[in-house]
This record gives sequence, C-alpha cells and structure tokens, in this order.
Amino acid sequence: MSPSLATPFAHIVDDDEAIRDALSWLFRTRKVESRAWPSAEDFLAAWRPDWRGCIVLDIRMREMSGLECFDALLERGNTLPVIFLTGHGDVPMAVGALKKGAFDFLEKPFDDNALVDVVIRALESNARRQANQETQANVAGLLAQLTPREQEVMQLVLVGKFNKVIADELNISMRTVEVHRSRVFEKMGVRSAVELAQLLAPGRD
Amino acid sequence: MVAPLQSSDKEVPQPVILNPLPTPTAAPPRWYWSLPYAAVTLFIATMAALLWLTHRQDAEEQRATLINDVLWMEQNLSFQFERNDAQLSQLGPNLLTGNDVHSPNEGTTQARLKRALDPESGLIRILWLDAGGKVKGAEPPYTESHLVGETTDVFPSSAAYRLSRTLGRPVYSDAYAVIDNQTHFEVHVPIFEGGRYVGSVVGVYSVNEMLARQVPWWFSERYRVSITNNLGTEIAARSKVSPVSTLAYEIPFEPPGHGLNLVITACKAKGGWISLLLMSSLGVLAAAIVWSLWQLRRHMQRRQAAEQALGSEHAFRKAMEDSLNTGMRARDMQGRITYVNPAFCRMVGWSAEELVGLMPPMPYWAPEALDRTYEVHSMILGGNAPSQGVEIRLMRRDGERFDALLIEAPLIDANSRQIGWMGSMVDVSDQKRTQELARQQQERLQATARLVTMGEMASTLAHELNQPLAAISSYNTGCLNMIEHGDLSQTELTGVLHKIGKQAQRAGQIIRRVHAFVRRSEPKFETVDLDAIIRESVGLVEPDAERRGVAIDLDLAEALPPILADPVMIEQVAVNLIRNGMDAMSSTPRSERRLQLTTREHEGMLIFTVADRGQGIPPEVAEKLFAPFFTTKEEGMGMGLNICRSIAELHRGRLAFEARPGGGTIFNFSLPVTQS
Repeated sequence: MSPSLATPFAHIVDDDEAIRDALSWLFRTRKVESRAWPSAEDFLAAWRPDWRGCIVLDIRMREMSGLECFDALLERGNTLPVIFLTGHGDVPMAVGALKKGAFDFLEKPFDDNALVDVVIRALESNARRQANQETQANVAGLLAQLTPREQEVMQLVLVGKFNKVIADELNISMRTVEVHRSRVFEKMGVRSAVELAQLLAPGRD
Repeated sequence: MVAPLQSSDKEVPQPVILNPLPTPTAAPPRWYWSLPYAAVTLFIATMAALLWLTHRQDAEEQRATLINDVLWMEQNLSFQFERNDAQLSQLGPNLLTGNDVHSPNEGTTQARLKRALDPESGLIRILWLDAGGKVKGAEPPYTESHLVGETTDVFPSSAAYRLSRTLGRPVYSDAYAVIDNQTHFEVHVPIFEGGRYVGSVVGVYSVNEMLARQVPWWFSERYRVSITNNLGTEIAARSKVSPVSTLAYEIPFEPPGHGLNLVITACKAKGGWISLLLMSSLGVLAAAIVWSLWQLRRHMQRRQAAEQALGSEHAFRKAMEDSLNTGMRARDMQGRITYVNPAFCRMVGWSAEELVGLMPPMPYWAPEALDRTYEVHSMILGGNAPSQGVEIRLMRRDGERFDALLIEAPLIDANSRQIGWMGSMVDVSDQKRTQELARQQQERLQATARLVTMGEMASTLAHELNQPLAAISSYNTGCLNMIEHGDLSQTELTGVLHKIGKQAQRAGQIIRRVHAFVRRSEPKFETVDLDAIIRESVGLVEPDAERRGVAIDLDLAEALPPILADPVMIEQVAVNLIRNGMDAMSSTPRSERRLQLTTREHEGMLIFTVADRGQGIPPEVAEKLFAPFFTTKEEGMGMGLNICRSIAELHRGRLAFEARPGGGTIFNFSLPVTQS
C-alpha cells in the first residue's frame, strides 16, 4: 500500500521489530495509521516530499542513527514533524535535535499513551501546515494575475492609504485608482481591504 | 740578591689538587731577568775594586815599611861602621907606638884587638900601617893567598891609605873580590900623635860576613838584602826566602861608598797570597752564582712553561666541568666537601663558597630521608658504593625535593694516594617524574578504558533490556486502550499476549547473556607463595608511594605455607588494599605516612594485614563499605572493596577491617592454607 498525499501516517523508524510491531499495534488501538520502517536508510529511500503525517524516530539504531536520519531529512526539506525516542543518556542529543526543529522527544521508558498523544498532536500540526501551504499557494496564484500597476495600488491599499493619497503618489487620477482597486479586489476574490490584508497576512494559522 | 727568586722556588703545600690554581701573574718584563745578572756583575766589580784598593794600600804600606826598614838597616850599619872606626882609631896609638904587638905590655892591646875583631863588628882583620904605608902587623895574620887577580897590588888599598892620610879621617876603599866568592873592602883610619901622622889602622870588612852578621833574622825573613857594586853586579846577598816581589829599594851603601849599593827587596808577602785566594774564591763564587742563576732561570722557564700548560689544562678542564650538566662534588676522606662544580650548585641551590668545607649532614639532604642518606654516605666513604650509582632523595635550597643518581669514584692525588671521593650527580627527578607521569597517564587511561568499557557495557545492556520491556509496555498499553474502547477482539488480544510473552523471554535471554559474560572471568587456581605476591604488589605501588611520601614497612613472616589461589586476583586485592591505605593517609602529616604490611599464619589461615594511619572509617561509611558502587573517592567507581571481598570469598577467605589503635584502619585479608 503506497502512501498517498491524502493519507497521513505516523512513520515508525526503529531497528527493533518488536518495538515496531508493538508501536503499530498501540497506534492502531488509538486509530492512528502508521507505517513501520526497519532502518533509517529504508525510510530515507522511500521518503517523498509530499508525504503527510509525522515521524517517530529511534535515536539509537544499528546502522544510521536517528540523528543522522534527521539531518538528512532537514537537508531534503522535510516538513513532517519528527518525534525522537531516546534511551537513557541520549537526552542532550535529543535537546540538540529539538533546537534544530524536531517536534518533541520522549525518553524511554515512556508512557505509551503519552507518546500517542504527541503523535496525534504532530499529525494535527502537519495537517494544519498542509492546509496553510495550500492557501499560500492559492494567494500566490492570485497575485500573479495582477498587473504591475494593480500590485502597486494593492501595496498602498494594504498599508491603509486612501484613494486620494494613492492617486497623488502614483500621479494618476482618483478614478483610475478606484478602477484598479476594484479589479484587485475582484482578482483576489475579496470584498474589502480587511479581507485582503487577512489573505496576505503571513503565517496565518 | 737572589732572594726573590728563591722564594718562588719554595714548595708551597697545595691543599687539594682540585682547588682552583692561583691566577698566574703576568709574565715579568724582560729587564726583570737581567736584574740578578746586573747585581752579580756589580757585586763582582765592587769586590774587585775593593780588593785592588786594599792591595794597593797594602803595597803602599809595604813600601813605606820597606823604606823605614831600609833606613833603619842603613842606620844600623852606619852606626856599626862608626863604632868600628872609633875602636880602630883608639887601637891605633897602641898598635903603632908599641913595639910589638906580641910584647907582654901589649896585653890590653891584644884584648882590644880581639874585641874589635868580634864577629858582631863585621871586621874580619885589622892591619896597621906605619907612616910609610908599610904593613906593620895584622891580626889575624894573613898571606896574600886569599887575594885574587889585580887586587893583589892594592891590598891594602893604597888609594884609601893616601886619601885617609891626606884627609886625616877614616876613608873606605873600593870593594874587591877575594877567593871563595867573597868581597872585601877596607877602612883606613889615620892615626895622629901630637899632630904627627904615625900610621893607619886598616879594618878589613867582608861584605858577606857583614851581611850575615849585621842583618837581623827577622829582617832577612822579610827582605832580601843584597849589595851590588858600581856595575850593578850583586856581590853579596842575604835572604831566607826568594824574592818574588818587584818591590825593591836601593840606596847607596855609605860609608863604604864607591858605588856600592844596598838593595832591599821585599819578599812575597803572605797577605798577597791571601788576597789571591780571596780573589780567586770570589771569582769562583761569582761564577757559581752566575751558573746557579742561569740554572735557576732555566728551571724557572721550564716551570713557567709547565705552569702555563697546567693553567691551560686547568682552564680546559674547568670549562669542561662548567659546561657539564652533571653535578660534580669532591669530598675528602672525612666526608668534607672540597669541591663542587657550577652544575652541582645549580642543582642544590647553594653556592660553592657555602658548600666547600661543610661536613655531613649537608644542607641539601632531605630531612625525611636522612637515615638513608647517612647510610649511603657511610657506604660511599667505606668504599662500597655500587658502580652503577645509587639513587638518593635530596633537597634544593627552596625545599623542593629531587632524586639524584650518585656515582662515586675514589679521588687519587699525584702520589697515587687516595685523598677522597669524587662524585657525579645527575638529577633524575625529571626523568622519574616523566616516568611517573607516563605511568599515571597509563593508569588513568586504563581506568578510563575500563570505565568506558563498563559504561558502554552497562549502556548497551540497558538499551537491550529496554527494547523488549518497551515493546511489552506498548503491547500492554495497546491492550488497555482496546479494553477501554470496548472494541475487544479476542484473536487480536491473544496474538498480542503471545508477543508480550516472547518479549519477556527475550529480556530473560539478555540477562542470561550478561551472566555468561561475567562467568567468563573465572579464577585460575594454582599453588602460590603469598609473600612473593605481596612483594610484587609492593613493587607495583612503590613509585606511587614515593610520590605520595608514604613509607611502606614490610614485615613478612618467613616460610609461610603455600596457598591455592589465583595470583592475579590476590595481587589485585593486595594492590587495592595498599592503594586504599595510601589514599586514606592523603591528609595525614608526611612524617606519619607509614603503611604497615604484615603477613602471618593463624589457625590454618594466612593473614595479610594492611594498617594505615588515616582518619579511620566512620560507622555510617563502615556499613556500606563493601557495597557495590559505594565510594568515598572522587574518582572511585565503588567497585574496589566489593571486588576484593568477592575475590576473598571466591578463595574461601575473608576480608575484614577494624579500627587501628592510635588512629587509622587495619584491613585483614585471610586465605586458607592449602590442605595437602
């Protein structure tokens, strides 16, 4: 079963089969879909940038370690939240990883349901991010339809200037400003300057 | 005048050959050498001049004496002639007026004649002539046989006869030779009676006789008296010695006159001989002085050359010694320091001036090692120093201790007599420190390696055990989740429970593996000698003990029975206990840091005891002392005593401790004696 864009998975990367199986069983009992990978290499080989979900990464593995895997993922522009599972004494490493953008880490032995809770939070976070990214992509497409003049007018509207002032600054008539303004609203699919500002506000949740 | 040269020749007793030579004074200038020669020359010249002057004065004096004597002599002779003349003139009337000499009334005349002819008077014959000049008589009577040559015609001298008659006073005749190589002369004394010439009395003198009689003996010893005629021919002489001297005086022989001269020649004076002796001895002496001076000079030159050679040799050796990094120290037979080189001074921090002359104990002897230093010292002085040197702990001036390797060799002087000991000293503390450092580093590395290994093992173990446990936990949570949600599927649950069981088994296997790993280090028992193991252990910790200033007292019971044990393990226990003992005394004053090690046999057990002088073990620590991972040390792992006790138990022995009376702790490690 190949993961599609639509299905978010919790990717379990652990070299211990029992752990993989146990975690998969645990996640299933909480209705979380999971995929298990026996090594970091296997996971990296299969990884696709359009994947959704989250990654549960064991730090200590026989071949490539969890941290190395994390670094490789960062290089590739991975957006999936990464949850580290650490053993005793690996905490400093995990903290370092957290600073580099890891979602969370859990020290073994951990409360299993707590892990599931973190995984669910990570999945939600990923889902939101995905939606956000889609909106961003739409806005970009809309902005591309604007003429240079319309873009100039839009920028001035966004900073809250009146039509009269805009006309003066651009050295055009107020009437022309009004035409450009209405066309910007039309093209961007908004009804007011406030809606426009909301649409373009970066990092919208 | 040779005094300054002699002084340099004097033997100055040299203290020790190693004392630095006096810096040779600059070579004396050239004129310094000619000074003695000039002095000698001057001396000789002065002496010669003095001698010459004395000689001249002597000669003058001699001459004056001679003249005096001559005048006296002449006076004497004149006086004698005058007396004779007077006697002859008195005799005259008697002889001439009397008829015959031999007449009886002529007795007095005879007596007078006799008197006049006394040998002392110098007259040998008296003749009397009548007025006609004919010989009337003679006493003694004579023949003409004694006359020689032409003198026969003139005897008695007619010229003198006529002259005396004419003059009316005594007149002397010419001298004339007679036989027997004699020379005679006459005196004619005219006799007047009543103003009428009656005849003459003639006295004949023998010049030879006269000289013989009239010159006193003392005179003849000093002078040669001779009489020469008008031709300069010597006609008579009197002398007992041969005249050598040229000093002579000649005066006319008056009254005889007629060209007769009295010649007085001084005999060679004794003083001359003495002065010659003086002169020659002076010359010989001067020559001897010059020769000895020359010899001395040659000797001095040789000596100077030798000194220079010695000086350069000394400078060479000194440069060598100064450049050495090895300390050199010479001592006399009593142990007094006689020499140290700069390296030695640098090493100990005292200057050469301060050290030379010191007797033991030396200031650089470390107080805590004084006994051993004395031992080494007496060993060296006794001549029993090991040739490979002896290591000894010394102290610098600032109190810093250092280890020195001392190599001693007998110091032999020029007469092959031993005058002390020469020692070279090498500071080996750096070397030892480096060794010690390397050893410590090695030890630390090993400890670290052990720690790393143990840590890794523990970590691996934890991880491995974590895996099945985590899986079990997850399965378990999943099951609980299912039960909570109510969607329980029996088949699913059974499968999961099987899996849980499998994981539990896996965990058990891991633990079995650990056990097997531990069992791999089983002891290898063999028959061993406990004392040998203890000695070996002490050897292992000795450098460490020295570094920490801990003295180890080894008191081993002799001829202990053998035990069946793993020597490596026993050594491990011994080293551990000794190290612990030393660690316990880290805050004990240095002088009290003594670790007492004993072995003894007691009731079928061999007991190895380690007694320290540390703080002792507080009760709360004592409880946990053998517990694993309990430690009071910063770097400790807390395994030492635990392992020690395990080893003791493995050997069916015991490890126990007790407080030591007077402070500290005693550890007793007992092992059963092998039952044969």
